[in-house]
Amino acid sequence: MNITTERFKETARQELANAHTQKFLQILPLRLASRRDSAYQSFPDPETAHRYGQAVRDESIQRLPELLQVFETNAITNGARVFWAEDSRAANGYIVELAKRQGVSYVTKGKSMVTEELGLNEALAQAGIETWETDLGEFITQLLQRPPFHIVGPALNIPVEQIRDIFLQKGVIDTPTTDPVALGMAARRFLREKFRDLQMGITGVNMAVAETGTVINVENEGNIRLNKSSPRILVCVMSLEKVVPTLADAMHMLRVLCRSATGQAAGAYITLDSGPKRSDDIDGPEELHIVILDNGRSAAYQDPKTREALRCIRCGACLNACPVYGKVGGYPYGWAYSGPMGQVLTPALQGLGKTGDLIRACTLCHRCKIICPAGIDHPSLLLYYRYKDVVGDRALGGSGTGWRERFVHTLLSVAGSDHRLWRLLAKIARLAANRFRSGDRIHSIPNGPRGWFSSRDLRALPAKTFRERWAQMDQKRN
Amino acid sequence: MKRVSLFIPCLVDMVLPHIGESTVKLLRHLDCESTYHPEQTCCGLMSFNSGFRKEARRLAQHFIRVFENDEWIVSPSGSCVNMVKNRYMELFDDDPVWFARAHDLSPRVHELSQFIVDHLGVEDLGGTRHAKVAYHESCSTLNALGVSAQPKALIRSVRGTELVELTGADICCGFGGTFANSFADVSTALVRQKAQYFLDSGADLLVMCDPGCLLNIQGYLDRHHPGRRALHLAEYLAGSIGEKAQVAT
Amino acid sequence: MTDQIRHRILQRLQGAERKNVAARPALPTPRENHLDAAQLKDQFMAQFEAQGGTCYPVADRGALHDRLAAIFQAEGITRAMATTDDVLLPLDLVRWGQHSGVSVVMPPDYPDRRGFTQAVFDEVQAGITGVDFAAAESGTLILAHNRNQARLVSLAPLVHVAIVPATRIVGTYDTAIQALFTNGRRPSQVSFITGPSMTADIQATMFKGMHGPQKIVALVLE
Repeated sequence: MNITTERFKETARQELANAHTQKFLQILPLRLASRRDSAYQSFPDPETAHRYGQAVRDESIQRLPELLQVFETNAITNGARVFWAEDSRAANGYIVELAKRQGVSYVTKGKSMVTEELGLNEALAQAGIETWETDLGEFITQLLQRPPFHIVGPALNIPVEQIRDIFLQKGVIDTPTTDPVALGMAARRFLREKFRDLQMGITGVNMAVAETGTVINVENEGNIRLNKSSPRILVCVMSLEKVVPTLADAMHMLRVLCRSATGQAAGAYITLDSGPKRSDDIDGPEELHIVILDNGRSAAYQDPKTREALRCIRCGACLNACPVYGKVGGYPYGWAYSGPMGQVLTPALQGLGKTGDLIRACTLCHRCKIICPAGIDHPSLLLYYRYKDVVGDRALGGSGTGWRERFVHTLLSVAGSDHRLWRLLAKIARLAANRFRSGDRIHSIPNGPRGWFSSRDLRALPAKTFRERWAQMDQKRN
Repeated sequence: MKRVSLFIPCLVDMVLPHIGESTVKLLRHLDCESTYHPEQTCCGLMSFNSGFRKEARRLAQHFIRVFENDEWIVSPSGSCVNMVKNRYMELFDDDPVWFARAHDLSPRVHELSQFIVDHLGVEDLGGTRHAKVAYHESCSTLNALGVSAQPKALIRSVRGTELVELTGADICCGFGGTFANSFADVSTALVRQKAQYFLDSGADLLVMCDPGCLLNIQGYLDRHHPGRRALHLAEYLAGSIGEKAQVAT
Repeated sequence: MTDQIRHRILQRLQGAERKNVAARPALPTPRENHLDAAQLKDQFMAQFEAQGGTCYPVADRGALHDRLAAIFQAEGITRAMATTDDVLLPLDLVRWGQHSGVSVVMPPDYPDRRGFTQAVFDEVQAGITGVDFAAAESGTLILAHNRNQARLVSLAPLVHVAIVPATRIVGTYDTAIQALFTNGRRPSQVSFITGPSMTADIQATMFKGMHGPQKIVALVLE
């Protein structure tokens, strides 16, 4: 997909004006957040369950190289093939080669953010191989060529009329209807045909268990199960941070993942695959290929701070908690990963040059940090990225800063170290601002903060600062 | 009698000094002796949030020098308290000497309502003020400091005051410092929503613990709903205590 | 080639600064650990229904057969596929079907995978399976797939009927997983099934049976 992370503000403006986006943002994140809270109550001790999950992900990332090796050994023992992909080109190349070798004309896919990161569908298309997204939301966004709106519901903002029209156009339905159930059933029939003679299915991975070499997927629709059961070849793509130490750890993470994502105790289907089918199994893949994707992660891992972003389990709870996401939806974040998790992961993988707005599009309200079952401290990470950006850090691709901004902060720090300079600065600021007052209000300041004044006034700055008033109060007392 | 060192944020000093005056009045009412270091300037929050750590460090060092000998440091600003209490240590994480000084200072810095309720043990100032009040939960105060029950307890204890439900009380008002200017579209959408919820609540006044939120929300109200008022908790409570009011112990 | 890449990636990870791992807090024992068999069964059944399934207790084989006949009649089901797992074999469902107007086929009836797939996709209206375990914590059916538990039987048809021996009801996933993965055994696939197939991807309107079964029924056999 096209990466448009630099167009955050422009896209945000469009989304703020988009009635359908706004309609769904009014309802969905709040609903999911509320369900998440209710679902957590089913833990005997929700607070500890939350912290336990955070500890599991902390351990998973701190022990990453060791766990990946254990996972690989066990996966190979199970009969799976493991391919380590340095970057998206390598991963796509492997999958395309595999498909070509098998002579497949099309593949089906389960919902997978990592394959969006790879731009896998485009790579397959270029090789003349058709891809069919089989998750209903992704099927719709694929047909409409739109990016995902929300981790849990990629097409939730799309009006049903648009879905009707594209379904008619692509032959999913013969007669027009806007009944979501009828459209869904039509999609079921249409996509079932793709599974019939399926040669190759591709899914992502929710969790990879080191202890047993098992890949786990969670879903509600059943398309991932079909992808894992129908084809001869199954490819499971995992970004390298998906590994957890043991099956017991995975069980706990499944509990917090499902509750955090949709407020369910468990997704309708959780499948644990330890290798391809056994020789006398009737269905299941004859070959299981696990692609372990790096794509910038081992580099991000070098910095213990940035490494934290890899703890993410893609539950989407941070999206539902975020006031900014709640106003603009997924598109402005410009890539496969949106919301606060996108704001901490994308800069680590893409560099700060492309993500200047992304790391600043945050009020630091801290809700994401509180809700995160993986224990990511998003506000702290974003502040770190801002710092690295300002100093033009090489490793992260920081852009440095313009002289104006640097001047302002230098001035503040110099004046702020000497209270007499500070008082002088305060006086100058007051005179400068109050020049533009009308009565006791300031409606705008030419060459001043336009964004502020676009919707707000400022009260005129008072003649006496607190310091001056205190001095007078002090005098009166003495 | 406690000696309280006033930490008056630069925003309060220069733009909203009456919040500082209200704070002094409240502390006097609670039998605390306020001291004020006129050398204080700015805690460095804005520079830190913008990524200018070197510059923020200078401000932080100045702050620490000014305040580090005080036992009780109290401020009417959740975001500034959070900066000093929690972020200073991050700012000095590669400088053991300054880290130690920041670490030493951290437990002695308090947000105003938390100081009154948790450390002075007072929820009822003995005040009276007839109004319907809604309370906006400033993000730093609620999420970074965990302060929420305290301001609400103080509001509820005011005779004649009704604390009404506010939809989305804990949703950000869209200030976020420079965010309000740099991401004005999103910020405006958030403050518009906050204002609407306030209007819907039936409250006369919207009260909060952070001057930044106040600037933002009052600024929006002045432009779009003139006459509607937001105020700081300190102002609200100071207005409820007359000369003769007694503190309930 | 790929070995080199693998090596490089792992080297980068290994060379990075190590941070200490925080100790895990102590998790309380699950509530289910304190329940007896009857309570577990009650909780399983309640959860199964709360998750969108329908549950019937059946006292014995005869009751099971009667209940199954009633369900299939109500749903208009005349063709079903049953797996050959150890729960179903003693129930002799083919013979039951002959007496009940239901044609029951099984995966070994088909010469190849293609034929099986066509049958389970197109020719049957229901899939019948046993279970390896059923977890009371969330009303979840746990199936380990192998030649006697084909994957598509509980997935492709619109109706899935699961026969759940009460003795296989456990409190939590952990008990089931420990049993299924003992002694280095690793089933090629284990499915956790909780409720019917679902989506709300179109305008947040929920509908069941997106890819998997629309209806899921559990017969809890004493």
